[in-house]
Amino acid sequence: MRLPRFYAKKRGHRRTGSREWGVVGDGLFHGALLVAGLCFGGLLVSGVAAPEWRINHEFRESTCTILAKGLAKTTVADLPATVITNWRPCLLVRYSANGVMQESWSLCPTAMSASDREVALRRLSGWTLGAETICWYDPTAPQTVVLQRGYNWWLWLLSLLLPGALVLIGGTGLVRVLRAWGKSEEHRAASAGISEMLDPLAQPALAAPGYPAVPVCDDLVNSPGTVLRYRLPIESPESWALVGFGLFALLWNAVVVVLAVGAGLDLLGGRTDWWLFALLVPFLGVGIGSIALFIRSLVFATAVGPTQLEISDHPLLPGGRYEVLLTQGGTGTFRTLTLSFELEEQATFRQGTDTRTEQLVVWRQPVASFDDVSAAPDSRFEMRAVVAVPKDAMHSFTSAHNAVRWRLVVRGTPERWPEFCRTFPVVVFPPGVDMPEVPSCPLVVHAGTPPQEVSS
Amino acid sequence: MTSPEDRGPSKPKVEVQFDRPHRQYETRDQLAVRYRIEGCDGEPIRAIEHSVLWYTEGKGEEDLGVHFFQRVTDRTMLPPTTTAGTFSTPLPQSPLSYEGVIVKVRWCVRVRLFFDGSRGFVSEHVFEVGCIPPARMPSPRA
Repeated sequence: MRLPRFYAKKRGHRRTGSREWGVVGDGLFHGALLVAGLCFGGLLVSGVAAPEWRINHEFRESTCTILAKGLAKTTVADLPATVITNWRPCLLVRYSANGVMQESWSLCPTAMSASDREVALRRLSGWTLGAETICWYDPTAPQTVVLQRGYNWWLWLLSLLLPGALVLIGGTGLVRVLRAWGKSEEHRAASAGISEMLDPLAQPALAAPGYPAVPVCDDLVNSPGTVLRYRLPIESPESWALVGFGLFALLWNAVVVVLAVGAGLDLLGGRTDWWLFALLVPFLGVGIGSIALFIRSLVFATAVGPTQLEISDHPLLPGGRYEVLLTQGGTGTFRTLTLSFELEEQATFRQGTDTRTEQLVVWRQPVASFDDVSAAPDSRFEMRAVVAVPKDAMHSFTSAHNAVRWRLVVRGTPERWPEFCRTFPVVVFPPGVDMPEVPSCPLVVHAGTPPQEVSS
Repeated sequence: MTSPEDRGPSKPKVEVQFDRPHRQYETRDQLAVRYRIEGCDGEPIRAIEHSVLWYTEGKGEEDLGVHFFQRVTDRTMLPPTTTAGTFSTPLPQSPLSYEGVIVKVRWCVRVRLFFDGSRGFVSEHVFEVGCIPPARMPSPRA
């Protein structure tokens, strides 16, 4: 028998890790998680849950007389060179167990313990010497007696949640590894039903019914247009940048505030921590810069005004022609405003321990272009044009790590602001007899605007 | 294309014949394949897998979609009793073969042999679905 190789060759010139060793490592990792979960769970169940369950279900009830009271002292060594002392109330009780009189010390519940002896004594004073009360004793060891029953729910939750999570993650991972063991990649892919459940994060985006690897377009057709059939959702890189700047400014300045409060308290207490002040100055500078960047992006996003795009039909088909309506709100003049139809490829790959995604536009068709466009709050700019999908166009494609995406892109250059780019994804289906006839719409001309169409 | 997964005592060869000479298909066409296994030198085979699948190639991690899969374990259907086989399947509506710049989609037929022990051998044969021209980078002026 020969051990598998540590390195295998992918297509082309790249070397990748050996799949067999990867599977072994994956199996060992998930097996270790499963074993750890089982051991941890077993310890918690046998040490905490089972004794508590026995007290509530197997201990017998009796009546006892309180004969004496005391405090049980426990000391635990704690670093550095100190000890923690704990005082726990306990009671000497006399009770009848299996017809025999017993005398035994009963520890009160842990919740009655205190590190302060006076507090523990006050809690102990709640019990009266000579009083009779209900107790429960262990029928197999009658000298074991308790005066209170019940469940410590957080311990039960702890004993279920932590080991349960370890067992679940380890178990599902191990089942996935064992199911794939010795199978070819085609066999694994063909029987992916349970694997999808076991590893949902590794699955590709949802495909359109009957069209494998073609993305669904439900989210693109659930908003009706005001003039044309659908209003396309926007994918704006500026919006994501705005969210990113906002989050960064919030988190960074939260750190700055924590540091500043610490430094201020030091000053009030008459101490000056120069290291903290030296750290605070550059942090404050970055914090102020991040707020300025966020405000600039916010002003830019709101100053340009909303861009909307409506389309006459969706999904698109190769050879089809579709009417689109572009509207641009806001105020001021745009030096240029262009609409283009693009095909973008996207590849996600691992580089070391990082996962990187690369996008590349491989086809671009100008649809319309305008110079010196004016928009006002009461009259937005409107433009109609026709988008033609090439007859031999590749359809939209998506898989776990690769995608081919079609999109309409609006680019503008405002008079006083930087350029902006707003993207409207569309889905192009492959030609098929199940689809409605390829639409063909006449060229529509916006009032006062020359027709803008470039056929492929 | 035939590529051994492992070096073993025998060097098998799988000859695959498509029902269309140029291996050019359209979506929903019926794909029929005939294959012949040679060069096993009497080494026992415990299973053969036939599959029709697409995979991605290019800059990204490889993705795979199996459209048709068949595992043959019946000894009477395996070499040395039977050294040839056929299988056929209607092709789906997507994806089409695509020669992009950083993403490529390829269709292929694979015949995978499992010898007794852990040795395996796979033979892969690419074919085209659809007729999409290769992608080219747009000119900077566009």
